[in-house]
Amino acid sequence: MRSGERRVRTFQDLVLALHEYWRDRGCVIFEPYDVEKGAGTFNPATFFGCLGPDPWRVAYVEPSRRPTDGRYGENPIRLRLHHQYQVILKPPPPDIQDLYLGSLEHVGIDLREHDVKFSEDDWESPTLGAWGVGWQVWLDEMEITQFTYFQQMGGIDLDPVSVELTYGLERIALFLQGVESAFDLRWSEDVKYGELWHEKERQFSIYNFEKADVERIRRMFELAEAEARACLEAGLVFPAYDHTLRCSHLFNVLDARGAISVAERETYIARIRELARACAQRYLRLLEERRARVLA
Amino acid sequence: MPEFLLEVGTEELPALDAPVLAAALARTLEQGLKEARLPFQGTEIYWTPRRLAVLVRGLPERQEDLVEEVRGPAVVVGLDPDGNPTQAALGFLRKYGASPEDLVRKKVGEKEYLFLRVRTPGKPTGEILTELIPPAIRSLPCRKTMRWDSSGLSFLRPIRWLVCLLDGEVLPVRLGALEAGRTTRGHRFFGPGEVELASPGQYVEALRAARVVADPAERAEMIREAAARVEAEHGVKALWTEELLGIIVGSLEWPAPVLGEFPAEFLDLPAPVIAAVLHEEGKFVPFARDGEPAPVFLGFRDGKEDDRGHVRRGYERVVKARLRDARFFFENDLKRPLAERVPDLRGVVYEARLGTVWDKVQRIREICAHLSRHLWMDAAEREKLEKLLDRAAFLCKADLTTEMVKEFPELEGVMGGIYARRSGEPEEVARAIEEHLLPRTRSDELPKTVLGTALSLADKLDTVTGAIMIGEVPTGSRDPYGIRRAANALISLILRKPLVVDLFDVIDAVAEFYPRLPGGKGPGEVKAFLVERLRHILRDDHDIPHDVVEAVLAVPRGDFLGLLERARALASLRGDAALAEVAQLFERLRNITGDHEETSFDPQRFQQEEERELWRAYLRAEGHVRRALEGRDYVAALKALLPLGEPIHRYFERVFVMVEDEGIRRNRLSFLRALLSLFLEIGDLSKLTT
Repeated sequence: MRSGERRVRTFQDLVLALHEYWRDRGCVIFEPYDVEKGAGTFNPATFFGCLGPDPWRVAYVEPSRRPTDGRYGENPIRLRLHHQYQVILKPPPPDIQDLYLGSLEHVGIDLREHDVKFSEDDWESPTLGAWGVGWQVWLDEMEITQFTYFQQMGGIDLDPVSVELTYGLERIALFLQGVESAFDLRWSEDVKYGELWHEKERQFSIYNFEKADVERIRRMFELAEAEARACLEAGLVFPAYDHTLRCSHLFNVLDARGAISVAERETYIARIRELARACAQRYLRLLEERRARVLA
Repeated sequence: MPEFLLEVGTEELPALDAPVLAAALARTLEQGLKEARLPFQGTEIYWTPRRLAVLVRGLPERQEDLVEEVRGPAVVVGLDPDGNPTQAALGFLRKYGASPEDLVRKKVGEKEYLFLRVRTPGKPTGEILTELIPPAIRSLPCRKTMRWDSSGLSFLRPIRWLVCLLDGEVLPVRLGALEAGRTTRGHRFFGPGEVELASPGQYVEALRAARVVADPAERAEMIREAAARVEAEHGVKALWTEELLGIIVGSLEWPAPVLGEFPAEFLDLPAPVIAAVLHEEGKFVPFARDGEPAPVFLGFRDGKEDDRGHVRRGYERVVKARLRDARFFFENDLKRPLAERVPDLRGVVYEARLGTVWDKVQRIREICAHLSRHLWMDAAEREKLEKLLDRAAFLCKADLTTEMVKEFPELEGVMGGIYARRSGEPEEVARAIEEHLLPRTRSDELPKTVLGTALSLADKLDTVTGAIMIGEVPTGSRDPYGIRRAANALISLILRKPLVVDLFDVIDAVAEFYPRLPGGKGPGEVKAFLVERLRHILRDDHDIPHDVVEAVLAVPRGDFLGLLERARALASLRGDAALAEVAQLFERLRNITGDHEETSFDPQRFQQEEERELWRAYLRAEGHVRRALEGRDYVAALKALLPLGEPIHRYFERVFVMVEDEGIRRNRLSFLRALLSLFLEIGDLSKLTT
């Protein structure tokens, strides 16, 4: 389909168009992973998918919860929960940038009528022990995508490396629909984004900033951490990772609640990173054992 | 003459790195060509975010032949008594495929040897270049490297194509998974895609036709011209920074200006906030009209004018949203007076061992209290200024807790000043806070007010002292706390302002406020570190000759400005014959006095006329020198010392210092030591090389 022909009128059209584009380029269309997380990178399809030698292509939507970004539903673009569209390509093909730009055209952005820039941005997640090199992609100077060549995940050097494309769906939808507030976006032809999300933004902002019980959340963190460790000892890497994700989210809630001092912050992050590292190492061992069994 | 083109095609390089890498690539290539005996007429450097290119003009077809003299056996071994070659000489000749008539006799030291002139034919230029290119690319100094495929190649961003053309011919260069060709690529959106190059010389024009301006200077010119047009048409002035221009030049292959406007209602935001919003990510050029922000900005789109205004509307939407955010932060921040935020600094860690920012503020206040004694002599004035300075010190870091500074860290200090003013603090206090981070570097703008200067000095001195006291002395290129930069800025503030202050005195006075840790350092190391920085600054920024720097720094003092002035005085008289003579005598004075430290002597015990003559000259000189030092006139002080040369000279000719009689000997040594001390008021003259 040539650019401009497609009519991506709604938020859900945008998701469907991206699904279609990446399905046709060999991606597994995965689902959001149902444990709270701050970014699509935390989805096991990315975290584990990037590890090990096997090729892997996946795409999915990820509702990403960042409690500190909440604005009680009063800011047009800062949201406690926004939607990322995440693509992983391992190994990345040499024409990866063109492939990515093709996806923008596919959803109806005429690149010859707008301004697209790849602007240096090196990405790092201290909690996942992950980092990469790449860009923020700017469309008419609005950030729409994080484009990263992952170099490390869970503290492990990646070979082959993966490319992660993280589209900010609300931003792109704002652009396509020509509105200024996320809450005014058409989710479908009949339903507005605000109808689905505004009250949730308000309530979660109140909860995260004012009401979350610090002592109980701290205890929940400890419990999730203990559970993750127990799972790791039992060799249950996926359940261990789920609990690691919980730790990460609970930490974010404590952070938004203003309950974490600067000194504590480093310690909390290090604790989560330790778990992520252990999960990554355990997972790689699992892959090796399986390979050994196949060969035997 | 052959021409050569190397183009390394990449995915978008970080804007400020590309020029550094392009220059390094050219340097490496030039170096390699020189070492390979391939002279060339010149190189041209081109780069855009997607390519680094070097064009070499005027190369030879091949290397010059290499002619070397090779030493063979000694004549006595190589030739028999009849002068015919022996087996040894024949073996030597065989090795180089030469015949006996090629042999030459040459003396090396006492012995005579047989030599051959051996000619190694030069290789074709293309062959040399083919070997040269891959290591040249691999050795480029990347700030950070990444991998993108499994070839083992790493670079700042992925390398996607390679052009290696020697005249019309592609060189068979391989790099990682790539093979060199003659195909470059035009602009991503407005070019024809791939572009075949027939020869190196057409590079720039072929790219221009493909909507790429390969020459960064030309892009900079297009950008400046566009801004100048806006200035002329709208009666405004562009607010450039070096970095902003660098980023715009570095992120575009073909800069096309897009002029935008924002609603005038945002003009009530402070000018630095508006500039910060527009500067963010190096995107837009702000403008001022009569010194006030103007509601226009200039952005640059890559590749083509924005005929239909789509891009302009996009830019305007982004700017408006960011200004709205900034207004939200500003209004929120104003809800609390600045002073109320100070206690919150107890929750902001400065450095684990040095405590919170609150602790830092307390130390800055202590330093300020000591500084004021140096800076203001008049007691009545001092009392008033001390109070204001302490208030400014108390408030100077409070803006770290504001939303605006969290969002725009570069506004630290500036926002503090604005918020102080809005909180009803005295104007002097607000200005001091605003200025207290200046200068950020050796060449940066200085604080204008006396309070801002004092506060800046105190803040930087605390940064340096704190880090060194906990043992974080920078080594090599490692300087995680930015101590070198802070020390450079501190010293440059003192020297350029200029300020008379004894840093050593202040450091001693406040040393007790820093933790003493195992592995930590003391005030001595802080002083030594600062003197070391001063050494560099005197040489690099003030053009003081090396030996003069050593002469004045041999007697370290906390009055850095005094050291600079002494150095200038010495440098101005460098080459003067009298100074050279005195410098020599200084050496003798020092040798003879050795470790004798006593300086009080009894002129009654002098026995010879030469002693009394020197003593009288000393008394005259001392009076002049002390007065000159008090008036900080170091040239006069130095000139007052010069007439001592002659009497010292006579003294050394006639007077024997190390006599048996201990009383007389000690008296003479004490006198000479006093004389030496007078010279040391300027420096260790023996370090002078002329």
